[in-house]
Amino acid sequence: MRRLPRYVRVGLLGGFIIIYLTAVGMIAAFHERNIITGVVQFSVVLMTLVYMAAGYLAARAPKGGSPPLRPTRDALIAGAVGGVLVGVFVILMTVLADAGYTPRDMFIAITPATLDILSFDQGTYLSLPVQAVLGAVLGLAGGYLSTATPNVRSTVTRAISATLIGALGAPLFSVMMAGLGIPSRWLFRSEGLTIVGTVFVVGVTLLLRWYLLRAGGVRNALDRVPGVTRKNVNVVTWAVVGVVLAVLPWIVNTFVSDVLGTVGLYILLGLGLNIVVGYAGLLDLGYVAFYAVGAYSVAVLTARSSFLVGADVTNLAPDGFMNFWVAIPLTIVIAVIIGVLIGAPVLRLRGDYLAIVTLGFGEIIRTLVLSDWLKPYLGGPQGITEIPSVPVGPFNARDPRILYYLILGFVLVSYFVSTRLKYARIGRAWAAMREDEDVAEGMGISVIKYKILAFVMGAAVGCLGGAFFAAKLSVANPGSFTLLVSINVLAVVVLGGMGSIPGVVVGSLVLVGLPELLREFGEFRLHIYGIILVAIMVFKPEGLFPDARRARELRGEATVKEPVPALAGAAE
Amino acid sequence: MNGSVLSLSNVVSGYGASEVLQGVTIEVRPGETVCLLGSNAAGKTTTLRTILGLVRVRSGEVVFNGERIDGLKTPAIVAKGITMVPENRRLFAKMSVRENLEIGANLRTDKAAILKDIEGVFEMFPRLSERAKQRAGTLSGGEQQMLAIGRALMADPAVLLMDEPSMGLAPILVEQVFEKIQEISGRGVTIFLVEQNANLALSIADRAYVIQTGRIVLQDTAEALLANPDLSKAYLGELDSVGE
Repeated sequence: MRRLPRYVRVGLLGGFIIIYLTAVGMIAAFHERNIITGVVQFSVVLMTLVYMAAGYLAARAPKGGSPPLRPTRDALIAGAVGGVLVGVFVILMTVLADAGYTPRDMFIAITPATLDILSFDQGTYLSLPVQAVLGAVLGLAGGYLSTATPNVRSTVTRAISATLIGALGAPLFSVMMAGLGIPSRWLFRSEGLTIVGTVFVVGVTLLLRWYLLRAGGVRNALDRVPGVTRKNVNVVTWAVVGVVLAVLPWIVNTFVSDVLGTVGLYILLGLGLNIVVGYAGLLDLGYVAFYAVGAYSVAVLTARSSFLVGADVTNLAPDGFMNFWVAIPLTIVIAVIIGVLIGAPVLRLRGDYLAIVTLGFGEIIRTLVLSDWLKPYLGGPQGITEIPSVPVGPFNARDPRILYYLILGFVLVSYFVSTRLKYARIGRAWAAMREDEDVAEGMGISVIKYKILAFVMGAAVGCLGGAFFAAKLSVANPGSFTLLVSINVLAVVVLGGMGSIPGVVVGSLVLVGLPELLREFGEFRLHIYGIILVAIMVFKPEGLFPDARRARELRGEATVKEPVPALAGAAE
Repeated sequence: MNGSVLSLSNVVSGYGASEVLQGVTIEVRPGETVCLLGSNAAGKTTTLRTILGLVRVRSGEVVFNGERIDGLKTPAIVAKGITMVPENRRLFAKMSVRENLEIGANLRTDKAAILKDIEGVFEMFPRLSERAKQRAGTLSGGEQQMLAIGRALMADPAVLLMDEPSMGLAPILVEQVFEKIQEISGRGVTIFLVEQNANLALSIADRAYVIQTGRIVLQDTAEALLANPDLSKAYLGELDSVGE
């Protein structure tokens, strides 16, 4: 059988994606979500984007191939093919339902109401022409984008992205504007942009774009301003970042502050794991162990119900065994000891074996805290409750805002320490060990010592995350320390780029912050999360914010060779 | 014999169930260039790895400067003054040329002297100095070998172990590499060299040993060995004195 032409394949793929989105329920759920309130819903935007992408791809040269002869026609057909497929799907589903076969048994999202969304309320049989025309028009638009000049293309994509960001972030932005005392009703309504708001966002984007294009980029635009040097641009940038971080909790609501605190916890965990995985190259799948150790240590040391205070829980001590700030150094000591205990037996293992064993250690810690054996001390399945909040003078640290500052402080310290470690002798030794253990040993680097050091430092930073987690929730129980935490933290590190410190921050914001803020995406959170992860692994395998050296390791060597007169004829 | 800087006596070592070295005795005197010849799988690399502690000694002794070093960990042995230029260079390909040299000096703390030695390596291999900031992996084969040698020299060793420095290099480069080895030897560094290219190795060595299936089967001065017809037999594994 001959292969179908590319535009047909692309179109069919687009149609299939829309059917898929329908079947998993995204189209129905996102029909409730306004983009431009009362005019465009997110469901429609999704369809639009798919059709445009189909047209865009159809009109573009495939990887390693030649560009299509008639890009416009191809784009049009691709969109139309996708539309026809969706239309056929709607008709088929309706016919099946009429004949007594209910697709809803399997796909609960395929309801008549959902199908009405696909046919734009034009009835089952009109859905085919409606979708076909829609697909064709949008495919054409996508095709136009791919043949347009890069300037036009990036301007249009930026305008679209700005609108989407504005609309999806509407709940957050309106809260922030309220915090700053700026009226936002004209811009946002019902979680979407108003028509005026859309015009405003697109207008601002276009103006900015026009100005920057004329000035030749941000750098040049800034260079043009008198008295601005690169150095004071940096200073100003950092000052702005500092001020934003400092005032952030007061312009967002407590929920967002709370989310920021959680992001901070993951940054702490990520920075710790980054030392183990990113610097030393030891794949640790049981990192949650240190999170648990931190949380339980603080719990046992500070909770009123802790066995250290006395078995008689009715006779509550005014405070726990000790103050949080005294408990923190002790917690670090405990984590370091456990780090050595875990690190020592796995030193001889490499790669996959190490990963499996650390995975086991993570589970061992969880099973231990869950066990009856340690129940008198660690509370078994109930865990330890009534952990007091962090004492910070007159402030109430149950307030997410205060907690935010505390966590921010520890993140900054860990950030600084991480940076110093990376560029110090020890960081270089880790890098050498990661590349070639044998040769590193031959250079006098004691692999055993440096592996233990990596585990210990990772443990020390990670336990801080656990400590704040316990103080924040006032409970430590085994349910919070599952394998999923290890995986999430690892995902944060990998997504940001292994070994990259800013990468950990970006990774936490994307993987922990975004899903919390986009709660309405509800059951699709993990779904979208998965799509993002796959997309990043395909398009940016070195991570969002890669460490320069790591990026090289992944991209492989691009050999820079110039003619070498003295060493001409070099082999290899 | 007295006055040896490095000596192996009846060393047995190997991996797992296989005994690769079956009682090897070698002696290297200060300032000498000694080479170990042998065919594939004769135990040449294992000998070097055993000296450096990367393979455990099962019986026998390794003595360095009158002190037993078998049983010590590799970093401790390196600290005593033995370094190796590994087979196939094995540079830290993603690090810069300079970083590779710095790693070589990992055990030293005398910053000023380290800087001076880096300059010394750059003087010896001017091409490396031109490429100080370039990634080691992007160097040509010859340059990589130079860097591997420079990296080993950065530990300021008394004895330099070299594993097949000619491997994978074009003849003209091999010549250059061997010239540099002579230059290093001229500075008083003792060199213990493993090679397959017997003629070339013997041309710069003072003495040589020939190893066959884990045993030393011949040993002599370089000139004498060059003239010895048994040499090629040993290479082909046909020397009778070794029969099982």
